Amino acid sequence: MAILNQQLKEQLKRRFSERLRDPVQLTLYTRPGSGRLILPGGLGCATCGDARELADDLAAAAPEQVRLEVVDVSERTELERPVPSLTLGATNGEADQDGGRLGWQGLPAGYEFATVVDAIERVSRSEHGLAEATLDALSELTEPVDLMVFATPT
Amino acid sequence: MALASPLVSALSVEANEFPELSQRHGVQSVPRTVVNGARAFVGAMPEARFLAAVLELARPAEPPA
Repeated sequence: MAILNQQLKEQLKRRFSERLRDPVQLTLYTRPGSGRLILPGGLGCATCGDARELADDLAAAAPEQVRLEVVDVSERTELERPVPSLTLGATNGEADQDGGRLGWQGLPAGYEFATVVDAIERVSRSEHGLAEATLDALSELTEPVDLMVFATPT
Repeated sequence: MALASPLVSALSVEANEFPELSQRHGVQSVPRTVVNGARAFVGAMPEARFLAAVLELARPAEPPA
């Protein structure tokens, strides 16, 4: 059964047509076909198939603006990425710097899917939506800040 | 915040899918925000409080007197 039904896909398409401006780069790190395997490093990737389907649906909703790259980590053994992982960045020449600074590890289902949609729109429009006071504080950072937010798909 | 500052990176982790990582970071309830892989706080909060919590935990710990 599809993760997003046809009605949701149409809603996503309409929403992106209204809200996207510049192209964005989605990168999905996955290990296809390993969902039911027990591999030397542990269990296979149970949600990689669903993550691929969601990523494909996001790209299909706005093919001109949402550019999807799928990276098979089983073929790129130098990559030590947990799978599935999804990263998001702009494609305005800063992709190399931005790619990977915003991401999801695991299947972004439930409310997490809404955060992916919202982030795609914000990146596309270069709109962070933060208050001036927050921007002032962030501008004073001198060291990197790495945030990991643990959530569950409710 | 990651969109607004090149020094900030943000990763959302599905806790159930990565139990070892969750255990390593002491995840018992969500959302749990881990700052620089070490210190953490729990709960959703307004932007100003979230920022204050992040900045507080990002600050290097002072050596004991």
